[in-house]
Amino acid sequence: MSPTTATAAGPRARAGAGRPGRRPVAPYLFLAPALVLFVVFLLVPIGYAVYLSLRGLRVSGAGPFGRREETFIGLDNYVTALTSTDFLEGFGRLLAYGVIAVPLTLGLALVFALLLDATTTTAKRFSRTAIFIPYAVPGVIASLLWGFLYLPTTSPISDVTQALGLGTIPFLSGSTLYGSVANIAIWGGVGFNMIIIYTSLRGIPAELHEAARLDGASELQIAVRVKVPLVAPAIVLTALFALIGTLQVYGEPTTLRPMTTSISQTWVPLMTIYRDAFTRDDLPLAAAASVLLAVGTLLVSVVLLRLAQRRAFGDA
Amino acid sequence: MRRRTFAAATAAAGLALTLNACSKGDSSSSSEDGGPVTLTYWGWGTAQDGMVAAWNEAHPDVQVRKTDAGGSTESSAKLLTATRAKNAPDVAVVQYDTLPAMIVGGVAADISSFASDAKAQFTPGVWSQVEFDGAVYGIPQDVGPQALAYNQKRFTELGIAVPTTWAEFATAAEAVRAADPGSTLATFAPAEFGGFAAMAQQAGAQWWTVDGEKWTVSIDDAASREVAAYWQDLVDRGVVDAEPLLTPEWNAKLAAGKVLSWPAALWANGVINGVVPEQAGDWALAPVPQWKAGDSAVSFQGGSAVVVTTSSKHAEQAAEFAAWINTSPEGSAAQISAGQYPASLDGQELTLKSDPPVQSPQQADYWQVAQRISSNTVPEVSWGPNVNVANSAFQDAFNDAVTNRTSFIDALATVQEAVVADMEKSGFTVSAG
Repeated sequence: MSPTTATAAGPRARAGAGRPGRRPVAPYLFLAPALVLFVVFLLVPIGYAVYLSLRGLRVSGAGPFGRREETFIGLDNYVTALTSTDFLEGFGRLLAYGVIAVPLTLGLALVFALLLDATTTTAKRFSRTAIFIPYAVPGVIASLLWGFLYLPTTSPISDVTQALGLGTIPFLSGSTLYGSVANIAIWGGVGFNMIIIYTSLRGIPAELHEAARLDGASELQIAVRVKVPLVAPAIVLTALFALIGTLQVYGEPTTLRPMTTSISQTWVPLMTIYRDAFTRDDLPLAAAASVLLAVGTLLVSVVLLRLAQRRAFGDA
Repeated sequence: MRRRTFAAATAAAGLALTLNACSKGDSSSSSEDGGPVTLTYWGWGTAQDGMVAAWNEAHPDVQVRKTDAGGSTESSAKLLTATRAKNAPDVAVVQYDTLPAMIVGGVAADISSFASDAKAQFTPGVWSQVEFDGAVYGIPQDVGPQALAYNQKRFTELGIAVPTTWAEFATAAEAVRAADPGSTLATFAPAEFGGFAAMAQQAGAQWWTVDGEKWTVSIDDAASREVAAYWQDLVDRGVVDAEPLLTPEWNAKLAAGKVLSWPAALWANGVINGVVPEQAGDWALAPVPQWKAGDSAVSFQGGSAVVVTTSSKHAEQAAEFAAWINTSPEGSAAQISAGQYPASLDGQELTLKSDPPVQSPQQADYWQVAQRISSNTVPEVSWGPNVNVANSAFQDAFNDAVTNRTSFIDALATVQEAVVADMEKSGFTVSAG
């Protein structure tokens, strides 16, 4: 309860002493729009997904053209999802992708933020915008653009490597593929994360680095010893975003898929969920896999926050 | 108290509005006293607008509103969900290979009682694509008999003769590589389920068959394995490229004249024209190569029918519309002018009086070649209730085989396994052939 409602309820409680049990209406009125939206667009869909995950489309009626109808099948879909090699291998690929994408995104974002915050840097406003702009490019468009740069015939990179007699770089096959897909996400994500860390850096009181400078610390020492520890909460926050973003990778590989034979329809878990729902017409199985993915994401986030809490936010 | 009631009422009203907005879909409408009926229609491709306009002009009492709900894959996925939500359109275009899935998904309605007149307009092979178990579920719209689209200009430059058998095709592929190592006679596209299925059917494969209550699935039968081995040989020897079609990469090669032919179907020249309009006049149409010299078997790749949905409240008018746009001279004329090859016999007859399409103005006998091809189609090809599963499993298995240089025949076995497992899970009686 906010203090405002407490004071508002105070005089009324005294005035209406003869009617105990009467409760204030206003808070509920103010909460209603948010609650309605929350229930209609979050709780109901989640509830429906859970309900759907317990059902399956099964043939009813005889004959080779019997109709497929929705029936209750218990936890079968969860068993199918948890034993599906397609679904589980997707998590393995996510790991390989995440190992490249997360540290590079955060590392570059931190370095750029520190450089922008350093007193000696020039053209700050331009650099900040230039690094941020890729974030404004929608993921699908970014993937299409990068796709052109990756395909040997359309890529200017291949023109250069071929002119040097090195042949073409197979960006979209083998283990290079992970780097190529991660590169798109890094390109798009660094700017956003940089802004979060940079904003946090601007919030550090100037006395702190002035004191360090007076004590003879170099810019590098100030950055590593003073600034980085102070923006640790922002770094944890960006790490959490990056982790959730990794678990939800979908747009980049889906857009690149038609261009290469190396990306399957089950390359990452969300692609498997899409295939089951809309290519194989098995919405219930997709619902079960979605519930598993959501619960997994929640668990990973909670664990990360627990681990980081003491270090970043102190004993809260 | 009044305030709370007001809040609850507002909340309820907001909720009702939202729900109402969700449920108000594409259902048809008409006034009770016999006023004009409005039908909703989902279709893709360039020919639909002309056909719908022709119908609306001739039928003031039954007006049709067309929506482009995406190509075959997207549109059928939406039809399944819309049917479960009971707001599917009255009429929809469905590709032949997806029709069985639409029947078991409860989308396509049995229109046998309205469609008897239309049957005479189609060859038995085409009609078999819409009739199952004695019930009619759609009116054929266009057909895609297999054909070879080839770059005549480049063939002449390199001195390549148009192959009439797949053996000659392989020799021609070697010759192209020898004459110009940067060019390829054709591309083996591992994601082209429809193309591979057509080649296998041309070789005699029957992937799904029904016997009484029981389905038999034989995606890795002898004929299909032979087709897989044929392409594996060409890919392994490096005489054809193995890569996806219609990517920026492939399109660039096509534009540079480095892809010399595309064995696909009658629509292939139109697709190529969409990619490289500047090559109009270079591309020509030929019959697809044969597995045995002297044969003339042609299977279908693509093509679609118009179905009436189970959601429609005006099934009779909807069926009339489906039959009219696909069999009337007005409908066929609109179709041909957009470059689509009609499924109806009258429509095909009408093409012979038309000029060659925009992509091949130099080929005076274009429509004659097309008609000769379509008169030789394999009489009966039957599709199963889960072609979507087969298609998606095929893409992954063959992409994987091309990427890792593993066996195409093993990939076929993977597809077979996935399809049988899916049918068993759904509850069909099924055996592996």
